[in-house]
Amino acid sequence: MKYIDLLNFLNPQHFPIFAIMLYFLGAFFIVLFGKNRIARNCIAFLATGLSLTLLILLVKPIFLDGGIIAYWMGGRIPAGGYAIGIALEVDALGLFFGLLVATAVFVSCLYSFSYMSEDDNEPQYYTLFLMLAGGVLGMVFSGDLFNMFIMVEILTFAAVALTAFRNRVTGALEAAFKYLVVGCIGSTCILAGTILLYQQAHTLNLAQLATIIPNCHGTNVTVAFVLLFIGFCTKAFIVPFHPLAADAHGAAPAPVSVLISGVLTKSGIYGIIRLTFFLFQMMNLGAVQFWLVFLGSVSMFVCVTMALAQHDFKRLLAFHSISQIGYVLTAVGLATALGASAGLYHAMNHTLFKGLLFLCAGAVLHETGTTDLGKLGGLSKKMPWTTVLFLIGAASISGIPPFNGFASKWLIYQATYEKAVETGNIGFAFVTIVALVTSTLTLASFVKVTQSVFFGQLPKECENAKEVSWGMRLAMSILAILCTLTGLFPNAVQKFLTQPAARTMYNVSQYIDGMFQKGYAVQEMGMSAPEAAAVRFETVGVWNPGNWLILLLIALLSICIVAVASKYDAVRQNKSEKVEAKYSLFYGGEPTEFSQVGGGDLFWGFKHNWRHYFSFMHDLHSGIVNDYSLWAVVALALAMVYALIVL
Amino acid sequence: MFKKLIEESTGKSPWLFHINAGSCNGCDIELVSVLTPRYDAERLGFKLAGSPRHADIVVVTGPITAQSLPRVLRSIEQVPDPKCIVTMGSCPQSGNVFRGSYSVAGPLSKYVHVDVDVAGCTPKPEAVIDGLHLATQILQQKRKEMKK
Amino acid sequence: MELILSALKSLAYVLIFPGFLFCFLSGMLLCGIDRKLVARMQKRVGPPILQPFYDFFKLCGKETIVPAAANKVMFLMAPLLGLASLVVLQLFIPVFQYQIPAFAQVADVIVILYLLLIPAVSIILGGASTGSPYAGVGLSREMVTVLACELPLVLVLLSVGKVVGAESDGGICFSMTGIVNYQLAHGSLITHAGLIPAAIAFLLVIPGETGNHPFDAAEAETEICEGMLAEYSGAPLGVFKLNHAIKMLTMTSLFVMLFFGGIGSGLESLVALVGLTGTAARVVGMLLAVLVLFLLCVIVTAVGISFVHAVTARLKIEQIFKYYWTVVSGLALLSLVLVWYGL
Repeated sequence: MKYIDLLNFLNPQHFPIFAIMLYFLGAFFIVLFGKNRIARNCIAFLATGLSLTLLILLVKPIFLDGGIIAYWMGGRIPAGGYAIGIALEVDALGLFFGLLVATAVFVSCLYSFSYMSEDDNEPQYYTLFLMLAGGVLGMVFSGDLFNMFIMVEILTFAAVALTAFRNRVTGALEAAFKYLVVGCIGSTCILAGTILLYQQAHTLNLAQLATIIPNCHGTNVTVAFVLLFIGFCTKAFIVPFHPLAADAHGAAPAPVSVLISGVLTKSGIYGIIRLTFFLFQMMNLGAVQFWLVFLGSVSMFVCVTMALAQHDFKRLLAFHSISQIGYVLTAVGLATALGASAGLYHAMNHTLFKGLLFLCAGAVLHETGTTDLGKLGGLSKKMPWTTVLFLIGAASISGIPPFNGFASKWLIYQATYEKAVETGNIGFAFVTIVALVTSTLTLASFVKVTQSVFFGQLPKECENAKEVSWGMRLAMSILAILCTLTGLFPNAVQKFLTQPAARTMYNVSQYIDGMFQKGYAVQEMGMSAPEAAAVRFETVGVWNPGNWLILLLIALLSICIVAVASKYDAVRQNKSEKVEAKYSLFYGGEPTEFSQVGGGDLFWGFKHNWRHYFSFMHDLHSGIVNDYSLWAVVALALAMVYALIVL
Repeated sequence: MFKKLIEESTGKSPWLFHINAGSCNGCDIELVSVLTPRYDAERLGFKLAGSPRHADIVVVTGPITAQSLPRVLRSIEQVPDPKCIVTMGSCPQSGNVFRGSYSVAGPLSKYVHVDVDVAGCTPKPEAVIDGLHLATQILQQKRKEMKK
Repeated sequence: MELILSALKSLAYVLIFPGFLFCFLSGMLLCGIDRKLVARMQKRVGPPILQPFYDFFKLCGKETIVPAAANKVMFLMAPLLGLASLVVLQLFIPVFQYQIPAFAQVADVIVILYLLLIPAVSIILGGASTGSPYAGVGLSREMVTVLACELPLVLVLLSVGKVVGAESDGGICFSMTGIVNYQLAHGSLITHAGLIPAAIAFLLVIPGETGNHPFDAAEAETEICEGMLAEYSGAPLGVFKLNHAIKMLTMTSLFVMLFFGGIGSGLESLVALVGLTGTAARVVGMLLAVLVLFLLCVIVTAVGISFVHAVTARLKIEQIFKYYWTVVSGLALLSLVLVWYGL
């Protein structure tokens, strides 16, 4: 009897809840046994590693076989047509985000072991860290709206606490406070939206709501939609909630930034997708498409220009984070299969490369004690590994072939322009243009970081910097390898990961039926039951990174052979202790002195032309929490007005 | 074959780096006139380079003031081999009218080996071109002797 | 056996034609012709047409000094990376209809737009690795120039994609083969009224993208000692000069293929007129096509690069940016709008 029970435990049916529980149990046990460093690290490693493994084991039944796992807590299956019990439902979309979460959590946990080793209160750190992870995973897998809200609360509070974790750092408490205030506005919106829906439908189960809500028309439902939407926007830091992210990222320790940018924002995106595609099924409305694409494009462009104006490494990355989320939102908002697939692909890539970049920033902070671009420089000679890994991350996010950022951005360009041509709406063509230009602006700001952190001249203060420990390097390398692989094999990634997930977005009835039984959607909704849409993932362009890389390697190799054969590498270098005049830099004849072209105002030629825009933006971002709360309220009001007019 | 090609090319593409070591600007203007349409030294491959790292021929004008001396020497040092040093005008050769001044450290040949002197105050463009041409030939010779 | 043969074949493509050797010879020749033309326009005799070759080989014979502040690996690898990416990029630009089928399915025009960034990034990285402040200023300007050129290029390519894709099922077409085939069937795109502003915009983008005068603020030799190249000497400098020459070839041939691709059909009928068939026709046609392509590149260089060089003075960096984002982008945008509404 016992034996059979054990076998039952190994049923994939139980894996989602195990994965969530592992995080929370880990957090619990760290509180108990966390005083001991080894025990603490073992618990954290086991919790994150095991739940990643469990989720990877789910790939086959869900992605490849197209199944859905519905799990009723305590076996309280719905009775009498009402789903009262707490449910988890894992479809390909949920699992896709779950995998992102688990991967990012695992890698940043690995990184934390050596990165956080010098902080005090380490047990509390891991507790909060695992709480955050568990919160996001729980939200992504949750099958009912109220549990989604609970999990959002857990993750928000864990994130706020983690933001303030290094509270001796200037601005950490302030950032946490801002995050708390505006985050609470968001959470309140979600709660209010949930209440309105419950009042309307008398259920909180997502699948059941999805059968009832699309047939309800009324101000209530519209208001609920707007509230939920804005709530999830705060979680994803979509414009106008972006200043929070910048502050939070700047103050939080690097592995936490990875979670906030790679995981927390994804939970917001996930919420928006669930909301628009599943709960309300209103993505076929032009107004909603316009709304998402508009918000996405604005986030994309505003945040990339804000990033260009930053002179702090982590704040810069934070703004890029929102910019990339803008790409995801735009692509998803196109409401085409290709767009959905491209958006999810970009979401995944964003987790990978932004994680990598934040970890690199953390490595720089760990070694030099600062992330101010004006105070750094020339670290490539001291930290060659970090430099190479950073360059991979930077190339990925700026969309330099053949790394993953390019593969997904390229799909987004295709998707937006295809949509433009299909609908004949030139507006979508402008979205393509914004996306393309944003990508180049991203490159510009990463050129800035490369120049002012890793190249250029080494300031005196940074002379003691050395390469970071192997543990940190391992964590960064995992992400760098993933960045390269997902860039080199875009077809495989699409086929096995993003397309199944995108397909579920266009097959809502499957989600509903998965929770109850087959045919439930048709039985409940009758004629208006959503059908599985015919999805088309064809792209019009061609891009074959594998072949390109082979050609590049052939060319590079043969050029290198020619170069070496003709003594290209026979260089004259400084041999003696002192730098001879011949090997010093050319300063018009003056002796070498320290002069680093810092990151503060590197792209003067660009900024000069946009000076009015930049000064406007500068005035707007006052850094006062009252202003940001006001923005949140104004955004809510505007969204409400828009929705009440057009929906 | 490549060795020969390189030697041939060395004579055909001399890039100049111009250092003003306290010149009255007469020679500087005259050097520029060498590159203008009338004399067009570019037909011989001459080109003004912006950095000593790119240069083959260093053209020094002016009497080498004490202030400029370390800077001149450092810039000459930064030119990659094979290189040629050409003084233009009388000042860097003898000090000209500035000779004996407390602030003049010239002549240049006290400090570095000068390959070609183009005398005159200022030298005619024809003379400059002739001097540069001579420097090119020396350059070619130096390249032949250079061990790679 | 089959595999080795195909490997050798692609090696030949990469190394000889349309790869390294072809790029080297025609790029340098183009650069020499440009210098000669500018000199003639300024009533000078000008350097010999082979001057870039002399410069290159001379630089190969010079010392390579690695500054003490530089990162040696990056300093030496950056030029080679740029060269390799440019050579590979040239493989994807067809020579009228004679494209090598193996490369047709690797990269489309949007990808080419991004591949064009790699040489720019490599020169930026190389410059940054030297640690020179001149390089710092230079790379800032180079990046702004790239930014400036990006917007009009994007607009031009989107307009072309719309026109060419009108008949395909997706409604857009970005593949180079598709663009050339469309032109073979319907005549060159330059004859398409809506695309004439786009063609002019592209022509104006060429000197900016290659960093030619008057858009060479990034490599201004009189102000910032050639910017990113300030610390480069010897062979690496030569390779950067070579990259510049190849980029001229790449941009001009891209222009020819985008807007004059229809000439290929004329070539084919010309070969048929002589009475050649089969393999001989293909070989002769291909040689003729390469020749015509090169001649057209020379003409584009003369109009787009040399003429502009001869009549203008160098612009400041913020003027470059403004010019490209207003005048040139405006032209390209006009084209996109015209094309969109069916002109």
